[in-house]
Formats: sequence, C-alpha cells, structure tokens
Amino acid sequence: MKLTIDHVSKRYGAHTLALEDFSLELGPGVLGLLGPNGAGKTTLMSILATITRPTSGTIRWNGTDLAAHPNAIRSVLGYLPQDFGVYPNLDAVEFLEYLAAVKGLDSATARRRIDELLNLVNLTEVRKRLLGGYSGGMRQRIGIAQALLNDPSLLIVDEPTAGLDPEERVRFRNLLSDLSGERIVILSTHIVSDVEATATDIGLISQGRLVAHAAPEDLLAAVEGKVWEWVMPSSELNAAKHQYLISNTARRSDGVHVRLLSSQPPPGTSPVAPTLEDAYLFCLSEHRSGVAA
Amino acid sequence: MNHTLRVLYHMVKADFLERVRRYSFLVILAGALYLAYGVIAEKVWILVGDGYRGVYNSAWIGMLMAICCSTFLSLCGFYVVKNSVERDSTTRVGRILAATPMRKEFYTVAKTVSNFAVLASMVLVLMAAAVAMQWLRPEARPISLWKLWSPFLLIALPAMFVTGSLALLFETLPVLRGGVGNVIYFFVWTFGLAAGAESSFDDPAGIGILEISTRRAMERMNPGGGKNSAFSLTIGGEHASRTFLWNGVDWTLHVVAWRLTWVAVGLGVALLASVFFHRFDPARESIKGKKAKEKNKNTAVDDLSLTVEPAQPKLGYAALTPLGPRGHSRFARLVLSELSLMVKGLRWWWYAVAAGLLVAEFVSPTPQAREGVLLAAWIWPTLLWSQMGCRESRYATQSLIFSAESVLYRQLAALWTAGIVVALVTGAGTGLRLLVSLDWQAVAAWFAGALFIPSLALALGVWSGSSKLFEALYTVWWYVGPLHQLPSLDFVGGSRASSSPGLYLILAAGLLLASCLGRRRQVAYG
Repeated sequence: MKLTIDHVSKRYGAHTLALEDFSLELGPGVLGLLGPNGAGKTTLMSILATITRPTSGTIRWNGTDLAAHPNAIRSVLGYLPQDFGVYPNLDAVEFLEYLAAVKGLDSATARRRIDELLNLVNLTEVRKRLLGGYSGGMRQRIGIAQALLNDPSLLIVDEPTAGLDPEERVRFRNLLSDLSGERIVILSTHIVSDVEATATDIGLISQGRLVAHAAPEDLLAAVEGKVWEWVMPSSELNAAKHQYLISNTARRSDGVHVRLLSSQPPPGTSPVAPTLEDAYLFCLSEHRSGVAA
Repeated sequence: MNHTLRVLYHMVKADFLERVRRYSFLVILAGALYLAYGVIAEKVWILVGDGYRGVYNSAWIGMLMAICCSTFLSLCGFYVVKNSVERDSTTRVGRILAATPMRKEFYTVAKTVSNFAVLASMVLVLMAAAVAMQWLRPEARPISLWKLWSPFLLIALPAMFVTGSLALLFETLPVLRGGVGNVIYFFVWTFGLAAGAESSFDDPAGIGILEISTRRAMERMNPGGGKNSAFSLTIGGEHASRTFLWNGVDWTLHVVAWRLTWVAVGLGVALLASVFFHRFDPARESIKGKKAKEKNKNTAVDDLSLTVEPAQPKLGYAALTPLGPRGHSRFARLVLSELSLMVKGLRWWWYAVAAGLLVAEFVSPTPQAREGVLLAAWIWPTLLWSQMGCRESRYATQSLIFSAESVLYRQLAALWTAGIVVALVTGAGTGLRLLVSLDWQAVAAWFAGALFIPSLALALGVWSGSSKLFEALYTVWWYVGPLHQLPSLDFVGGSRASSSPGLYLILAAGLLLASCLGRRRQVAYG
C-alpha cells in the first residue's frame, strides 16, 4: 500500500500558489500533517481526495496515476473534509444509508456498519434525530462515521477535532490509534496535541511547501538542547519576546515562566525537555528565516 | 452624511457589489439587453386599438422598453434579488449584523433599497441601450432624452422598487421563503399584471397610465372612431399594420404622484417584512428546523447528557462488520435512496393532493385528463424536481459525495431516474388511459414530457447550483406552453396539434448530456 505525491503544485488564479512542488511518499501509518492556517493543508487534502485537480505533478495510489484512474483511490477512500454539510431533514441513519448507497455498499452490511459506527462515535442515542437539530460536534461525529463507512484503506481527515469537546477529542484520538495498521491515515490539523497522540509520522507544511517529514522522535531530537525555561519579571517579557522564539509563558508567584527556543542558552535559564510543539515552532521559524534570507 | 445614511449606504453598497459580481446578474442583464434588441428588431411590440403601433420616436421606444422592464424584469428580477437575507444567513454575516444595535426595520429597508439598486442598475443599462436603439432605427429623429428616459424613471423604477420589496417580504415570510414562494410569485405576477390592465387605477407596472395615454392619442388621431381600446404587449405573432404618432405621457403632478405612491407602497412592504424578519435567530430561521426541534423534543436526549458517557467507545473499530464484495450492481438501491431523499420532509397533505390528482386522472375523460389534470399533476412536484442537481451545493455535501467511486455517472443517473419515476408515478393515470386507448402519438408525448421535465430540472440544477432557476423557468414555461397549448412549447402534449414528442425527447437527451457535462465540471476527475 503506497501513496506517492510527486512534485504536486496547485495555483489559484495568477497570484496564489497554494502548493508548491510538494512531494511525499506514504505507507501504512498515521501521518500528522501540521502547519499554520493557510499553509496549504486543506488544498493538499482536497487534491488527495480527488475533489481538486493539481495544477501540475502526479499522485499515484499503488502505482496508479489518479489523473487517469481516480476511481482507484475513490473506492478505498474515507474522507472527512474540513467543511461539509448534511441534509437537515434526514436523521443520522438515513444520511449514512444514502452515503453508503453512493459508495456502493450492499444494504445489509451498510445497515450493520451504520449501527456500529454510530455506536463508535457515540451517536446511538440520537440516531433518529434529524441532522438539522445536531450540534456542531455531533455533525462532526457524523462526518467521522461516514468517512469510515467503506472501511477505507486511505483515510483523510481534515481538522477532524474541530468543534469536538475534550472528551470526544480523546475518543477520536483513540479511534485513530485503533485505525492505524494496514491503512494510511492522513490527519491534517494545526492542533499539535492531536498529532502528538496519534501520528507515526509528521509532515510539516508551510507556505505550500513540505518543510519537514520525519518521525516524531526525530523532530524532537532536532530541538534537543535548544529549549530553555527562564523565570523573569513580567516587565522584561516584551523585550524577551523580541529577542527569542518563545513557545509558552505562564505567570506564577515568582514571576513569568518563559519557555524559549534558542541554540545558545540565555543567562539564567535552565534546559527543559522539548515537546512536539517546540519542534513545530522551531522548524517553522527556521523555514521562515530561510525564505526571508 | 449622518450616521444612519452612512450605514445604509455601506450596507447597500456591499450587498450591491456582492450581487452584481455574480454570474446570474450577467445572465439576466444579457437577457434584458436581448429584450431591448427585440424591441427594435420588432420581436416585441405593443399593439394599440385595431392593429396600430406607435412611430418609433423617443417616446414610443422609451415607453416600450420601460414597460418591458416593469413587466419582464419584475418577474426575472424578483428571482435574481430574492436571496439577500438568505445570503446573510448562509454566510453567517447575518449573525454579526444581528449582534449590532441595528433595528429590524432598518435592515429590511436597507435590503429593499439594495434589491432596488440591483434592479435599477439593469434599468440604467437599458436606458443607455435605448439611446443606441433609437439611433440604430432612424424612424423618427431627433432623440429627445426626456421623452426617451422619463418612462424608465417614472414607470420602470417604481415597479422595480415594488419588486425589490416583494422579494424581501417573500424572504422573510417562512412559508414563501423557499420554492413555494418562487412558484406563487409567478401567479401573483401574472394576476397582478392582468388585474392592473383591467383596473382604472395606476398599477405597479404602469400599464394603466400608458394605456390611457395611447388611447387619447388614438382618439385625437381618429375622433369617435377608436372603439377598440386594446393595449397589448406582444412577443411574436401578428405585426402592426398601421402606425400612429404618440408623443409620450403627459407627466402631470397627479400622474407623478401616483407613480411615487408605489415607492411608498414598497417602503410599506419593507416595513411589513420587518415584522416577520427573524433577525438571524437560529431558532426562527427555518420552519423545518423548528419542526425538527419539535419532533426531536420527545425522542432526543440533550446533547449535554452525551458528555457523561465513558470516553472509551463501546465497540472498537476492529470489531465492526467487515465489508462484503462491492460492485456496481447497487444502482436500484441508489435510485431508491435518491427518491427517498427527494420526498423526505414532505407532509401528508402533499401526498393527499398528489393522490387526489392521480385519482382524478383515472376518473376524468381522457381528453380532460390529458389537457387539464395531467398539467396539475405535473406542476405539483415542481419543488421535488427543483432539488435535482443542486442539492449537493445547497447543503454543501459535494466533498462527501463527489469523492465517491464512479459518482459522475452512477449518482447522476440514479438522480435522473428518480426524477423520471416521480413524473411517471404522478402522471400514471393519464399514461395508462392513453395506453389503453392505443393513442400512440399521445403516449409518446406523455412519455417525452415525463423524460423532459426531470432532465430540465437536472440540467438547470447542476449548472445554476440553485433550485430557483428551474422553479421560475418551469412555472413560466408550464403557463405559456402546456396551459395555453402553444405549439412547440407544449412539453406535456395536451393536444395533437400542440404536442411535439420528438422535439422533447431530443431536448431531454440534450439536457441529460448538459447535466453530465455540468457535473463533470464540478467533479475534478470525471
């Protein structure tokens, strides 16, 4: 099972380059695609889901070019878009039955899977409620259920935890961990903790380009010895912000605890263990410095 | 400029720009310009008395084009502007506006002015076109700008204001907000024009004023001889055989006051709309939503109760039922799904009326069933057909559906088939009677109609992304063609003389092809 993204670019109009020469090869596992807003994540997801055509480049699923054979990927695809609608006059079961029919599932299997998926996303109690009366989080869970209807080999989820409460977010992370194995999962988000919990690989994307692609451990190793904690009076915080890349601040009784990234330790700081958020900020900062230079 | 006017200006400006940059505006504008061309090319004209038309001077051209605006543009324009509140609702901009101190009356008046601005911009384009038209047709010179433009200013613009305010009222009234309102407006418009032409008072379209003025001109030309006071706007048909000189309406203070009264009426309608305006309260935005809530009251648990459940799913993903072999043989199931989606949410009375019409088809004599009951049976499901092809964009489900395997042909064909099933079932009474009577020409016409209607709905839905175009066009077509058994426009084939089954079978095939091309455009990889 292999998904190959080969020099893919996407241009909107004359001036907007959403993706630029993007290449990546994926095998089974969970790829956490991290990047700031407007980095090109949703464009990439949309291209992989065959919703949008790339301006240039090729995408191959197990060696089959999607431009010529889009159904090669559609038959094994589960896709949860960032923004999607539902038919407000259908209940959850009716909506999923409709999508199961569109995806070509036989009715007996579809019915059983729908019941089970509703149980999985914790919507069994409201399965007969019209979707028009669902909250945002409940709709999102319907989106998750529909993406899993056809037991996809390629699961693409774009900002899946948006609108979910903390408990449902944990439930979804557990589900993603369950799903990994003999399938490719692409999880696009800007919430680092979602990726931290589930991803076997991380792709960092910024300004339409792939900045880094590595295992979480490798990304963490890259910032080992570069994360420091500095306790300072709050009056000095603004000056520190101008001078260093700060990943977190917390006001305590002894002053402001500042977590910063720097190759050289500033005086009075102590080293701390890096987190994935530190690694993410460091990589983005390095990339922006490189582009600016 | 005081604060209120400034806010009004910016609201109207933003709304105006948002709308005139849409494709639908250009389409209607092109249609209006074609109409203007039709005036000069004598495809559209006014007949007065016994086959007279006016000499093409500034007054006559101005009047002709202004009356085209106040009649045709008040119909098409209504459908173009009847989306200002809906757009604020779907873009969620409305909720931002609702959180400001803005009063409901102010909002509805501003939206009416904005509707008027869009329609008025079309009138302005036609005013400029009128000059060119008279220059192109040098039947009478010189060009008098006042005579040419005064009918636009005093006939067309007040009519546009009334149209804009009615569009807003329809949007704020929950019953008229959707497709029902689109169909009802057509009948309001038809009967409004007819009543206006019969009335001795001024009507919004200004037909009464022009009729009186042209009749007086005829009487001056032929004192005592003008017994026929006919005044008709005509497209196609018989041309005028004689001309007379008409120098325009005598715009007395009384006449001008009558016309301005319609602006006041429009303002009144806008204020009335504020009574029904929901101010983007999600609980009041949709009747269906309200009904859904009521329905759910007894069955649904509160969302909050879901959060107390354990964080671990009751069932792991690995325990789900594995998929059986998948194939492409699920077409019948997809058709049923599309059909069920189409009729979802219909109330019992919809089925009661459809069943009543079906029974009437069976019990009426065959000619009456074919010419009358079938027409009613095939206008009744308009709102079912109008959802075809645009449901995905209306509810933003494209990304869920268009990423499915072979979606272009399977789903579109299933949808088309479901639309045909609706036509066949609702028209089954007539169809069976025609089959029994072995009138094969009539059977062919009936069948062609059953194929043509859903094909038209699908093509217009796919290409426009909205149900409105089909609702408006189909209603007008149904009224002009089948109801009046106009040859070549009668897609139902109400009589032997008017039916053209071959034409409508070809059209159905062409429209289906157009739907496929439209859907191919929407789906990145056909």
